Amino acid sequence: MATLQLENIFKSFGETEVLNNISLGIEDKEFVVFVGPSGCGKTTLLRIICGLEEASSGKVFIDEEDVSNAQPVDRGISMVFQSYALYPHLSVFENIAFPLRVAKINEAELKQRVDRAAEILQLTDRLDFKPGQLSGGQRQRVAIGRSIVRNPRVFLFDEPLSNLDAALRGDMRVELAKLHQNLKTTMIYVTHDQIEAMTMADKIVVLNDGVVQQFGAPMELYHHPTTKFVAGFIGHPKMNFIKTNNTVVESNELTVKLGAENISLPVEIGGTKSGDTIELGVRPEDLMLSSDNQGLSMNVEVVEHIGATAIIYGSAAGNDDFCAVLPGDTLIHPGQTINLLIDSSKCHAFNSQEIALHRKQAAEVS
Amino acid sequence: MSDLLQMFRPKTKAQTTTLFAWALIAPAAIYMFLIVVWPLVETFRLSFTNSNLGTLIEGADYIGWANYEKALGGRKFPAIVNRTFYWMFLSVGLKIILGLIGATLLASNIRARGVIRALVMPPWIIPIAIGCFGWLWLYNGHFGLLSNFAEMIGLTDGPFSFLGYKQSAFYSAVVTDVWIGTPMVTLFFLAAMQGVPRDLYEAAYVDGASRWYRFRRITMPQIMPTVVTMALLSAIWTFNSFEIIWILTEGGPRGATTTLIIDTFKTAIFSYKFGAGATRAVLVVLILGVFSLIYLAVLGRVSKKFGYSGVAK
Repeated sequence: MATLQLENIFKSFGETEVLNNISLGIEDKEFVVFVGPSGCGKTTLLRIICGLEEASSGKVFIDEEDVSNAQPVDRGISMVFQSYALYPHLSVFENIAFPLRVAKINEAELKQRVDRAAEILQLTDRLDFKPGQLSGGQRQRVAIGRSIVRNPRVFLFDEPLSNLDAALRGDMRVELAKLHQNLKTTMIYVTHDQIEAMTMADKIVVLNDGVVQQFGAPMELYHHPTTKFVAGFIGHPKMNFIKTNNTVVESNELTVKLGAENISLPVEIGGTKSGDTIELGVRPEDLMLSSDNQGLSMNVEVVEHIGATAIIYGSAAGNDDFCAVLPGDTLIHPGQTINLLIDSSKCHAFNSQEIALHRKQAAEVS
Repeated sequence: MSDLLQMFRPKTKAQTTTLFAWALIAPAAIYMFLIVVWPLVETFRLSFTNSNLGTLIEGADYIGWANYEKALGGRKFPAIVNRTFYWMFLSVGLKIILGLIGATLLASNIRARGVIRALVMPPWIIPIAIGCFGWLWLYNGHFGLLSNFAEMIGLTDGPFSFLGYKQSAFYSAVVTDVWIGTPMVTLFFLAAMQGVPRDLYEAAYVDGASRWYRFRRITMPQIMPTVVTMALLSAIWTFNSFEIIWILTEGGPRGATTTLIIDTFKTAIFSYKFGAGATRAVLVVLILGVFSLIYLAVLGRVSKKFGYSGVAK
């Protein structure tokens, strides 16, 4: 059992404000991912939860107990560092046993607990090695082992996969997800990689400039981003934005005229009036190649064939970073002009404050 | 003749490369030979002769092991060797302990860090001779600050010349040597401490490790190779430390501060017994050689124990 509440957390380093009024409620056994670009304050927030950093103001509650001024060890948390922070002079066994030695656990129980952790993480035959002799993935597991022997209430992970190569990162994602299912403990995970966030999280916290942009389940963020920032950050490749004031509001329907096409948007109009500037958001995967010369015309600059899909980069509708994901066997060459059809039911719209207009109906959200 | 030239002409590319490599090494090798190897060999040769001021003109005779027998068999020499080792261990031990304390203070986040950092440097920056003259004044019985202070607080009845008595002269020399030698040790330790990743301390802190626990189980093992290295270097310098003792006491009073290196100098230069002096120099080299071998063995074990690889246990 461990819930975690953050109440009005502010943090500044001197003049620089890093976190601005963060309040969150994290349920027991939830896997929550803090995601955001570099410098958005996600690691600082994690360090405040951990107790390595003191908030300028605000409170941290674990299981409804105020731990804002408690030592890290008294908070019942453990942390896996980005660099792993393994003790290079100690064996794998001693590295994992370190927290237990600090807590003066007797030798027999210590050995039993280290052995069990090693078993879970498949490190049993590596216990006598030193960290320098292990591969990146094994080091990562030792760091996790050190954090699980203490049976913490909350696990904190600070970008734990960023030092691994792509293939290993994929494997470790799966292993971490399994670990979460086995341990059934609250986990908080920091990353700048939205794919890690989407694949592992029960809930995602998107941070930008020290402010929580949105907090919700991965598919909720994907289908119902509340701001343009979240819409652009979640999903890969990034959502395309098309700025236009060619808008018509008629009987609570917002229609955008794009070239020859009228796109009726599935959003609530809010305060939008005809002629207002909005940004239309279209995910690259919601575009289709037009067979006739209908639709949005796009100048192709780069084509990436991934296999199942082809990612097309170029410019369209005044956007130089336009991107479309088309079926893999589509034959398109750089320099070509293609026409794309937009699936209007999947479009997003953002007002001039970059706030999303609420989408009426959308694919099911788990 | 052409055959002879042919012999030295490089035949293959590999031979050309080898010759070129030798040509590149040659200047350094010749230089090293002239200033290191040759004097060493010459000292060794001299140690088997009765070379002294009187033999300069007609040349010295080889007298076999006589110099060694005389030195090692005498009463004074073993006492000097003992004193040298005592001097070395005491002084190096103090430098290491004070260096660790100083480095820990400098590495920590205490407010007076800037002041301490400034205070560490002077003994090292000031030329040794000038520092020693300062200490000469401090130790002076009639005008010295220390004597006056000792009298003021009732430690002594009257003027006390620190360098005038056997025991006090020895320990006073140790104090001065430590004063001069500590800053470098401190700075090396500080550099090593600053090289320990911050994450390690944070990880231990999260696990609830106290300051002392972190120092004992993270800082010390991490800087151990540096500590061992500094201990050896410092030991060799202290063993051979000449100018500090010479300026303070010239090895006196009554030989109380005469270490091996002082004895060598006194014998060879002051008494003009070049042969006997060379014998002592050879003995110093032998003793330090053995000491270095022991050190290398210890360093090997330390790196294995505290190093980044190698199977533990």
